[in-house]
Amino acid sequence: MGGKTKSSLIGWQFVALPSAIILLFSFYPMVQSLLLSFQSGKGTVYEYVGFANYTRLFSDPVFRQALLNTLLYLIIQVPIMLLLGLVIANFLNIPKLRFKGFYRTAIFLPCVTSLVSYAILFKSIFSIDGIANQMLLNLHLIDEPIAWLMDPVWARIVIILAITWRWTGYNMIFYLSAMQNIDPSVYEAASIDGASKTRQFFRITVPLLKPILLFTAIISTNGTLQLFDEVVNITNGGPGNSTMTISQYIYNLSFVYTPNFGYAATVSYAIVIIVAVLSLIQMKVGGEKR
Amino acid sequence: MKNIRMSFVHLFLIAASFLSLFPFAWMIIGMTNTSSDIVKGKFSFGGHLSANWNKLLDSADLGAAFYNSFLIAILGTVGTLLLSSMAGYGFEVYRSKGKNLLFNVLLLSMMIPFAAVMIPLFRMFSSFGLLNSPFAVILPSITTAFMIFFFLQNTKSFPRELLQAGRVDGLNEWQLFSRIYMPTMKPTYAAAAIITFMNYWNSYLWPLIALQTQDKKTLPLVVSSLASSYNPDYGIVMVAIVLTTLPTLLIFFILQKQFVQGMLGSVK
Amino acid sequence: MKKMLSVSMVAALSAGLLAGCGSNSGSNANSSAEASASSGGSAGAKQKVVAWAWDPSFNGAALKIAEELYQQDHPGFELEIVDMSKTDLEQKLNTNLAAGVKSGLPDIILVNDPNIQKYVTAYPNTFADFTDKVDFSQFSPYKVDALTVDGKVYGVPFDIGVTGMFYRKDYLEQVGFAPQDLENITWDRYIEIGKAVKEKTGKYMSTINPNDEALTSILLQSAGSWYITPENKGNFTNNPVMAETLRVYKAIADSGIAKPVTGWSEFVGSFNAGDVATVVSGVWQIASIMDAKDQSGKWAVAPIPRLNIDGGKNASNEGGSSWFVLDNSNNKDLAIDFLAKTIGGNSTFYERFLTENGGVGSYIPAFSSDAYGQTSEFFGGQAIYKDFTQWSTEVPGISLGMYTQEAKDALKNELPNILNGADLTKSLSSIQKLFEQQVQ
Repeated sequence: MGGKTKSSLIGWQFVALPSAIILLFSFYPMVQSLLLSFQSGKGTVYEYVGFANYTRLFSDPVFRQALLNTLLYLIIQVPIMLLLGLVIANFLNIPKLRFKGFYRTAIFLPCVTSLVSYAILFKSIFSIDGIANQMLLNLHLIDEPIAWLMDPVWARIVIILAITWRWTGYNMIFYLSAMQNIDPSVYEAASIDGASKTRQFFRITVPLLKPILLFTAIISTNGTLQLFDEVVNITNGGPGNSTMTISQYIYNLSFVYTPNFGYAATVSYAIVIIVAVLSLIQMKVGGEKR
Repeated sequence: MKNIRMSFVHLFLIAASFLSLFPFAWMIIGMTNTSSDIVKGKFSFGGHLSANWNKLLDSADLGAAFYNSFLIAILGTVGTLLLSSMAGYGFEVYRSKGKNLLFNVLLLSMMIPFAAVMIPLFRMFSSFGLLNSPFAVILPSITTAFMIFFFLQNTKSFPRELLQAGRVDGLNEWQLFSRIYMPTMKPTYAAAAIITFMNYWNSYLWPLIALQTQDKKTLPLVVSSLASSYNPDYGIVMVAIVLTTLPTLLIFFILQKQFVQGMLGSVK
Repeated sequence: MKKMLSVSMVAALSAGLLAGCGSNSGSNANSSAEASASSGGSAGAKQKVVAWAWDPSFNGAALKIAEELYQQDHPGFELEIVDMSKTDLEQKLNTNLAAGVKSGLPDIILVNDPNIQKYVTAYPNTFADFTDKVDFSQFSPYKVDALTVDGKVYGVPFDIGVTGMFYRKDYLEQVGFAPQDLENITWDRYIEIGKAVKEKTGKYMSTINPNDEALTSILLQSAGSWYITPENKGNFTNNPVMAETLRVYKAIADSGIAKPVTGWSEFVGSFNAGDVATVVSGVWQIASIMDAKDQSGKWAVAPIPRLNIDGGKNASNEGGSSWFVLDNSNNKDLAIDFLAKTIGGNSTFYERFLTENGGVGSYIPAFSSDAYGQTSEFFGGQAIYKDFTQWSTEVPGISLGMYTQEAKDALKNELPNILNGADLTKSLSSIQKLFEQQVQ
């Protein structure tokens, strides 16, 4: 018993300082912003309104639209990206693969590339007489150019492509580094037993990477629910509000519209609640015993 | 069979690399073209690289911006790696109910959009008298729930036998962490270093608010003010963007070896 | 890990060494910032004012001219201009004001005109009152209207965006239209001309971008209306100007004369590449049009078409900004004096701003100067600035109100339905509803 208490105390030494820092720099502001979510007004002129902001949330069509868009990105984009990242990482982990370093660097590049240039580029690729349309026309897949960024469905698809392009390599890094912690002898043994590569992937790699898969699933969920840059720079939420995300709406409420920081805080807490619930589900599904 | 398999893998990776490299190639080509050619989407090298370069040097103090960015990113990364790995290690190796609860609470902190906490945070740093200093940028993300979570999840695959062996050798708990855990987890530290450096290097919103005078600004802020005019010169912007991208790439080049070496070697 | 640490230590050290050259300039700026903080009233000593602006080649350059002019009588005066993008500036300002942190704020800021009333209302007692500091009768009335909130004028008028219809003479001649055929026309006539141009030359008449409110804004103001009423209520239902604006907008979209574009660079690219015959835009667009040097002599500019209803004018405005002074800045009086004596009442400033940066202001005495009378070779010898300033006196004055952006976004949300042929009355009342929901 005494030994256990001692070990626990040492554990607290490891976690105390980092936790204190997060509590100070994240929780204190979070509490402030929670208090703000019960107030409404403009700029510095505020009054206490109780739960009025929260009831407003339920009748706010723009919030509803932004929430739907965000969930749509989440459901479609996150699984595609994670699977793609995992497959690529698995390929790059083949011991005898040539040009590994090149592939690895190339695929990681998008998340380093500046948002400004990639937004200009994506817009020009998907403009009416951009490369995307020219290629599809030349292949006779379409008869007339598609107005990508002016059609609600296509615009969402472009956003999904953009996020996948930018963040697949990022997730790949997590998988690759975690794969290094797998003892190669496990694979050797499986090969001797005659297990195919595909079988090894599903029977060895995936289960052993489970903690990291769970980690990427949670951070991607979180990242998608806070999606902002891509949408603002590529479609600016349009056409209409069809690509607008919750984060963009929060930003607009604070800095584009007549500032109502109280209502913006309320919308933020909607995200917190959704992410917390989703993460909890993911942890349960991911078999986390906490 | 094996050859077909490998050709498929190569084909897949070539396609993925091409798609990934394309915008980057476009940026490099953009460096050599005039602004109006870039807007037209010209995809061939032009002869304006030196003109763009000289105009860039005239219009921005890149030396100071590079210094500020490096200072923040390096101090921030070293601090984050140390603090977050300590916490990730502590939460996983010395599991207890209280710590689990604390960790779940910490996890909540990464779920709130930054725009919502920015104003209270700004007020806080103002009262500390730390605005307009590199520490205002470094401190709020010097440990993140995100990185603690990353280390924690990776620690799950850390072979505990090694700690036991270390205890037998007479190491104390902190020595176990610094002499056994840290060297063993090299790939994890490398990945964390790349990601953290990148986050600090590219961070935008908070430095924009927290840094107040021109001489303290980081590179992304300087680049953004170049692209700010009604009629921006994209030629200059492209040169600035490529320059901004290079350091992260360099860090990636240096650290990615860790993903190849793997555990073998580091354990010994 | 040890190795990694030592690598980063080396890197940190070398970064420190590298910085040797950079930090010199840094410490200079620092000490002068301290000087400015303590300057206050000490006359004769160096006096420094800090200003935030967002385009170094335009409004930043204008401040430099003003600084030079002011220094002639005030040798100790110094101005520090901090450049950042417009969105960054607005965000930084909002955060500082909302947090109540004054330390990082400048003395002077540039404000986009539609934000004026918003800032003055959301942050009371924050901006200096200019009512008695500048002779506002010398400025175009519509510009002063935009700066007036509750009878007080809150800044110095700066650039304007009086609109014109830039057109390619060569394309239109090809179809048989002479310059006088384009003067003082209606939008319906514009569409007819556009169809002829499209048919005979294959070129588009204009661009259209459903994600951008520039065209609807121009149309509304040309007949003295806006998205919101002066009382800050939605102005969508029971507003003939709004109905006519959207009818014209849909007619342009339906006629096939407009090339769809989705962003600013595509828009600029379309006329730089010679894809369109006309560009309806603010006077500041001259710079981007003149970027296509191969098109010199092929352009001209006419008044914009008008809405065919009561009060419809062939003149409007797109964009424009003004200078504000922060009320509790340490150098408030100096900043006010600086602005009032230069941008607020000095013809030389406006002449130089036009000649050096192509910027057009609303200061009437400058309009009769040689600078404003100059002709442009690019525009075939037309005295373009004289024309633009002439039109600027005809622009209807409106109140931009507090919720312009909210109202624009409410419209933008419904615009796709309108373009798809939804019933206009119904659409307008749903826009009105959405707007009211948004500004509670």
